Amino acid sequence: MLSHWRQYLAISPFFLIFGVFSLFPVFYSLYLAFQRWDGMGTVQFVGLDQFRFLLDDPVFWLSIRNTLVIWVLSTVPTLFGALVLATLLHSVRRFKGFYRIALYIPNVTSIVAVSIFFGAVFSNNFGLVNAILGTVGISPVPWLSNPWLIKLVIALLMTWMWTGYNMIIYLAGLQAIPTQIYEAARLDGAGPIRTFFQITMPIMRPIILFTVIISTINGLQSFSEPQVLFGSNAANPNLGGPGQAGLTTLLYFYQSAFVNNDYGYGAAIVWAFFVLIMVLVVVNWRVVQRGRKS
Amino acid sequence: MDLSRRGFLQAAALTAAASGLTVACGGGSGSTGSKNGKNLTLWYWGGALSDKVVAEAKTHFSGQVKLTAASIGGDFKQKLTTTLAAGASVPDITGIKGEDMASFLPNANRFLDLNDLGFEKLAPQYLDWKTKLARTEDGRQIGFPIDIGPTALFYRADMFDKAGLPTDPDKVAARAGTWEEYFALGTELRAKVPGTYLVNNIGSVFTMAVGQGTERFIDRDNHFIGDQDHIRKAWTTAVRPYTLGIDAKINDNTWNAAVGKTLSTELGAAWHALDIEQAAPKTKGKWRVCAMPGGPANQGGSYLALPKQCRNPEEAFKIISWILSPENDARGFADAAIFPAAPAAYAMPAMTGGDPFFGGQKVIEVFGPAAKAIPAAYEAPADAAVMAPFMTELSSIEAKGKKPDAAWKDAVAQARQIARRQGVN
Repeated sequence: MLSHWRQYLAISPFFLIFGVFSLFPVFYSLYLAFQRWDGMGTVQFVGLDQFRFLLDDPVFWLSIRNTLVIWVLSTVPTLFGALVLATLLHSVRRFKGFYRIALYIPNVTSIVAVSIFFGAVFSNNFGLVNAILGTVGISPVPWLSNPWLIKLVIALLMTWMWTGYNMIIYLAGLQAIPTQIYEAARLDGAGPIRTFFQITMPIMRPIILFTVIISTINGLQSFSEPQVLFGSNAANPNLGGPGQAGLTTLLYFYQSAFVNNDYGYGAAIVWAFFVLIMVLVVVNWRVVQRGRKS
Repeated sequence: MDLSRRGFLQAAALTAAASGLTVACGGGSGSTGSKNGKNLTLWYWGGALSDKVVAEAKTHFSGQVKLTAASIGGDFKQKLTTTLAAGASVPDITGIKGEDMASFLPNANRFLDLNDLGFEKLAPQYLDWKTKLARTEDGRQIGFPIDIGPTALFYRADMFDKAGLPTDPDKVAARAGTWEEYFALGTELRAKVPGTYLVNNIGSVFTMAVGQGTERFIDRDNHFIGDQDHIRKAWTTAVRPYTLGIDAKINDNTWNAAVGKTLSTELGAAWHALDIEQAAPKTKGKWRVCAMPGGPANQGGSYLALPKQCRNPEEAFKIISWILSPENDARGFADAAIFPAAPAAYAMPAMTGGDPFFGGQKVIEVFGPAAKAIPAAYEAPADAAVMAPFMTELSSIEAKGKKPDAAWKDAVAQARQIARRQGVN
């Protein structure tokens, strides 16, 4: 092993930086979850108190529910839409590059800019959507104050951002399927729908599972969208919108640690959330395994 | 596979560059500087100080020290907390927002005691209640008051006129002396000028009503008192405009759009005038200000402080007392609507002129007396965190039509829980 020291030295910067900026904070936050700390003063050991608070904190459970609802509302249409778009794009003959770029652009747009834009478009009193609805005689819809509509707007924002990203991955997968298989299917008399469900879907399965996992990670980490949508200022700290309907777990963590200066509790929130994500990962993994066996 | 020598050298150079970068990012230690440093840094946020006064301070003190002022964007408190906790690159002079002061007081040892530098002699120039809020129980003064936020009632004189209501500030103040009278006026206004609302949301009413009292959510003995009568009263007051249908229920970022159109009154601090002016420039000349129903409160208003690592405390103190002298304070009001914490400034020409946005009204005649009459209330470090659930529940009433009594119960239960978590008993 020592004989390869030069190689190890060469790859060491990543591990050093990773150690300092990622690994250390992870373990430090675990340590903090058992303390009370306001960010500057003395750190006081409180044992399992923070987790005990967590268990009967209705806001924490509300934030978990919000996160999961937003995750489902955004992931399902994102992945479905991406697959449909990828299939369409795969069969398009002209302007392929243009379509690819056009559909991918939302993903590289600044999330803050997009959130501000969505906030303006869906505004209750002066939004574009309500203005258009008004011209056809529909009374204004409270997009940003109804608990369900708040989640829907956040999910829509995430769908808009991530559909193109997943579409590119699906497109790569579609292009890797040999055309002979399709030709054989056609000779056997399979129509386009049957081809899609019996050939495209099974071959794409590992790719779809990959996007499901990536979307799980992205979807559960939603933070910037509600943070910007329900903007914060001194007089009006961001609490996740009216009735906290847009409060995601990460936003609640941010509020607790950085707005309320309650770093120990913030650490407890993210560690509890980590456990939840692990559970979801295990479920994902089970699904993958079953897919392989059959 | 073995590395070629060239590849190895390149990798090594990159490593060195990367580690150099890491050091550079964390470097620039402020704590090792001598106590008579020639370079002083000042952190503030846009609008905290008059940029003109700061620029002048640089030249005024250029003989003794080089002052570098940095306007820090984003979450100022968070950046300051992190820097203080890390102990490196700490500014020599820093702003602290009024609402954050309470959470910095338990760590007063991170700052210099301004009384050691001669603040005691200057203190009588500034409003006592404001100075007190930046003083620890054992008398350490960590904040030098910049400005305050005396609140008043802003109203659209043209809409009042349309509704046949009085438009003169004194008469409006007389008609809306108490909250109930103010809401009655709002109901009358809404009946005569359909489509206008009295308040933007009931959370803002709650904030004001709590600020009018002498007690907040936690008392000096660190007990939770957010469930007591004074808060309940503020809550009941806040819910009234909702039940009367004069609440615009604006809880998103569209206040800007509403203020020129459907909002006929605004409750706000002196600095709020600038927000209204920027949001609705076309309504220039149509607004007036008068005393707030139920008496004045304070909202916002900041401090300057000297972190312990300050490299030249004497000179830094001279700079802040110059920047915040009553004369310069008065200019801050003219430049950036920063309402001085030094009452002497209120009589200066920079502040006594008429404001064209308010139809030439001399707004100091409203804010000046309000500033002096603000009740002093003890603000505990956890106060802001404990107040948050009340605001959330009020927004639930507006958004979901939650029953006010149920909302009150939930708010108190949650506030109690947050208080317990933060060490309040």
